[in-house]
Amino acid sequence: MTWMRKLALTTALVAGLSAPVAAEDIKFGLLQDFTAVYTFVTGQYNQGQQDYLALLNAEGGIDGNTVTAIVRDTGNQPQRGIEAYNRAKEEGAILFDFLSTPVSAAVLDQIQADKNILITPAHGRGDASDGTVFPYVFPMMPTYWAQAATLIDHMKSTDGLDGKKIAFVHIDSPFGREPLPILEALAAEEGFEYQAFPYASPGNEQSAAWSEVRRYRPDYVMIWGAGGGQAVSVRTAIQNGVRPEQIHSVIWLAETDAANVGPAMKGVKRFEATASGTEHPILQRIQQQVIDAGKGSGDQANVGNSYYNLGVATMAIAAEAARLGLEGGQPLTGETLKAGFEKIAGYDAEGLLPAVTYTAEDHQGGGAGRVSEWDGEKWVPVSDWTVAYPDLIRRVIEESATKYKEGN
Amino acid sequence: MFYRLSGTYHTSYAADRKLWKIPADRWMVILLLILAVLAPLYVSPLYLGSYVLPWVIWSAAALSLTLLMGLAGQLHFGFAAVMAIGAYASIHLVRFGVPFELALLLSGLIAAAIGTVFGGAALRVKGLYLVMATLAMQYLVDWVVVNVPAISGGAHATLRTPEVSFLFVPVESLAARYWLALGWAVVLTVFFMNVKRTSFGRALVAIRDKDFAAAVIGVDPFRTKLMAFATSSFMGGVTGAILAYCFYRAVTPEQFGFNVSIQLVAMVLVGGLGSVIGSWLGAGFVLLMPIFLTNVVSGLAAGGWVPVSQNFLSHLPLMIYGAMIIGFLLLEPLGLAKIYDNIRKYFLVWPFRHARS
Amino acid sequence: MAYFLELLISGALTGLMYSLVALGFVLIYKSAGVPNLAQGALVMTAGYSVWMVMAWGLPVWIAIPLAAAIMFGFGLIVERLLLRRMVGQPVIMVVMLTLGLEILLRGLVPGILGSTPKPIDLGIDFAPIIIGDVFINRTSLYGGIAALALVGASLLFFRTRLGTKLRAVSDDHVSSWAVGISVERAIGISWGLAGIAAVVAGALWGSSQGVDWTLSMLLFPAVAVVILGGVDSIPGVVVGGILVGVLGTVIPGYLDSFVGGSTRDVVTSLIILLTIMVRPFGIFGREDIERI
Repeated sequence: MTWMRKLALTTALVAGLSAPVAAEDIKFGLLQDFTAVYTFVTGQYNQGQQDYLALLNAEGGIDGNTVTAIVRDTGNQPQRGIEAYNRAKEEGAILFDFLSTPVSAAVLDQIQADKNILITPAHGRGDASDGTVFPYVFPMMPTYWAQAATLIDHMKSTDGLDGKKIAFVHIDSPFGREPLPILEALAAEEGFEYQAFPYASPGNEQSAAWSEVRRYRPDYVMIWGAGGGQAVSVRTAIQNGVRPEQIHSVIWLAETDAANVGPAMKGVKRFEATASGTEHPILQRIQQQVIDAGKGSGDQANVGNSYYNLGVATMAIAAEAARLGLEGGQPLTGETLKAGFEKIAGYDAEGLLPAVTYTAEDHQGGGAGRVSEWDGEKWVPVSDWTVAYPDLIRRVIEESATKYKEGN
Repeated sequence: MFYRLSGTYHTSYAADRKLWKIPADRWMVILLLILAVLAPLYVSPLYLGSYVLPWVIWSAAALSLTLLMGLAGQLHFGFAAVMAIGAYASIHLVRFGVPFELALLLSGLIAAAIGTVFGGAALRVKGLYLVMATLAMQYLVDWVVVNVPAISGGAHATLRTPEVSFLFVPVESLAARYWLALGWAVVLTVFFMNVKRTSFGRALVAIRDKDFAAAVIGVDPFRTKLMAFATSSFMGGVTGAILAYCFYRAVTPEQFGFNVSIQLVAMVLVGGLGSVIGSWLGAGFVLLMPIFLTNVVSGLAAGGWVPVSQNFLSHLPLMIYGAMIIGFLLLEPLGLAKIYDNIRKYFLVWPFRHARS
Repeated sequence: MAYFLELLISGALTGLMYSLVALGFVLIYKSAGVPNLAQGALVMTAGYSVWMVMAWGLPVWIAIPLAAAIMFGFGLIVERLLLRRMVGQPVIMVVMLTLGLEILLRGLVPGILGSTPKPIDLGIDFAPIIIGDVFINRTSLYGGIAALALVGASLLFFRTRLGTKLRAVSDDHVSSWAVGISVERAIGISWGLAGIAAVVAGALWGSSQGVDWTLSMLLFPAVAVVILGGVDSIPGVVVGGILVGVLGTVIPGYLDSFVGGSTRDVVTSLIILLTIMVRPFGIFGREDIERI
């Protein structure tokens, strides 16, 4: 029976998948989690990615080559991610974005062996920023370490840090604990004290943690979670007498959370790696050429949202890398695309991003970000694009990457 | 047609006790085995690596679980945790310097030891309460793995498997990994088919049918239940290690989460409780159906056949998959094994449908 | 001391919010003997339907009864189409069926209505109630009151004529048939009532965390509540809820920052395990006497 099933499966899959293929076509595998843990972001993020690629193709593609996205759901399950990766690889994709830490971790070694590009914007291993150890992985955007450092840097610039107390309230998972080494290192350097307050995943109930936070009497609060738990964090914080201005969040706090929390959210700050809103040339052009032309890939109301713009930015950088990679006149493969990435210098996607520069060593792109504040309607930047504590971040990245190289 | 006998007729007890009572079955199994062993030669790496290999491993896991759930009747909703123990134990043992072959055995033993503790609850309760107790243990194991960096592998909670060789063959290439996994699955399959014919197997069945009644006829429920948990956890632990070394090669806690336990139970139930062929079919169904549906649905979407949003599209496989599980339970509670059996029985007496099989 | 008191109160209220989820489970188990592991998904569906009705522009006080009507009908349909056909099957089949239902709902509902978190604004004031140094969260407070009210209503309901029938059914299906009670209808109604309980749970939890699929993960604490209180006991839902909530708040409140990880799930798991080992039928549950 085994072989019969195998055969039936093979034929059915081949039949089910014979989609038409254009001639000169660059393929990106956007194999993401639309149905499980990452649903809070994937919809808008992927919509931004697809709309940007539609814009790119409408404007003539990359030197005449079109870019196609292979979009699949992995449900955050590693074995489905592996399958989706292998299949997309077969279909010719050279760049992959899983937007799922477990799937990225499961595929990482294989993808490096295959010399394909893995981008891990705002998820995945931070130490993959070390291009010498992870030649084909591009975190692309500030790692969680850099995000924490940027937030602390912002606190320092507002009211100083000496003798201050930071409450670090985080989801109890590896992701939630990731900034702890940064806090540890900076506490000594800047003379503040901090305490970590974990809450149970997924964070729909955090009253115990916040009662404790209130008694700690922090000057600043950092919240480190994702999805619905973030709205609960902000809400419970405010209910425990934390002023919204004191709250500093990881990148995962967006318009949807603001809608959940309501007007009380005004003043909450978060890290951002891309500008939000529609007042950017690229967003304007997406509006005109993609959305108005009826080619948008989702709900029009999402255009300009933080996660939407994040998706746009990832594809803008990837497209720029592809353009530079094609400059040598060779066909685009994982290797030439990597070379293209490493040629990007000072690219800012017409103001959507801080100027990013990738080198063979630094795949994070500098790690510049900024802090923005919710004004009741939208996110307003309250700092300039800055790179905070680059030496410390680099040191943490290299330490961790060395451990990976040794077999961890 | 294939079987060349219209019914099953045995003339001696020895014939009735045979593993394969009908020669055609034996030939089919041998043929399948040959096909499976040669798979790396004719199956493309895509299908071997992302369909056949995980299918083989999950079949081994389903076999381990169905020994407990199908034969011994003890429900277990935390089997992924048992596999996690095996996976993590094997990696740490190999890193500690233990040879891989021994590490596999030891990881099975460690999983068996902890898995038997899970079974402790079974001595007191059954049915729904056992489901809840094992569920709670799943959460406990998850918590320990996530919260002890020494186990989960540092800040990123990713533990890469070291390079190993099994009986001097490096477990590196896809084919080698596949053969190792297949070998283990075959061992489990053969064990499972034979255990049903041993006194231990019969004791398990007696416990499943009614533990008090079993005690009356001299089967010690205490010992048998713990033995069932130990055996099944040993098998599950080694399967977890195989899964880590042969398939994932980088272990993260999410690979052994609660939803994986549910998947395993679904495999066992959809396949048919306590059935060998059911474990294989159920594992294939539960593991590959969502992937298959995702691909078909996006294939149709690419062709412009389903004009709906990306969001609906990506949830569609989940709906169909849930509906299929419900459909199976409603229409064929005995699972895929029963459907296979019906087909087989039809051909067994073909063309004399009126004959008894 | 104030800290302990605050943890105690917020724990008890959170626990009562879990009771809202658990109540539906108990209602179904009591009458049909079905462990409904899809109760979490039912809460999610209910949360989505409240959001949907409010998105039509209806005010809260209409939206919730309307959603309750929708969910009552939904419960009836689920019972009629799925569970009625499972009568007489082993418990594992029923458990798996409800899990299948959970998977189906988790695909269907977010697939159609969208998977990004949706807001529900119940108009509950943000500011906490402050007594001395103790802060009480208003959403939890109202949730706790709602849970008590619902449990009270359920207890009263079981004193009505229809409720008496339901009690008879929960005692013995065959004897109920014998005296002319429609067991099927009674079980259907209990599913409908579970749907209504899910609406209250979905609206309150949805207003605090947003409506998305993670609402279905409330099942786990609810299971602890149910096991502790007794799977077929309605008062047990309250007592179990308060205990699970208090233990799951007070212990993490003191331990978490030392352990460096959240111990709430550990506490919940241990509650389940200890209850099962010490008193499997829970505090108020009825002990099953097994006949050979």
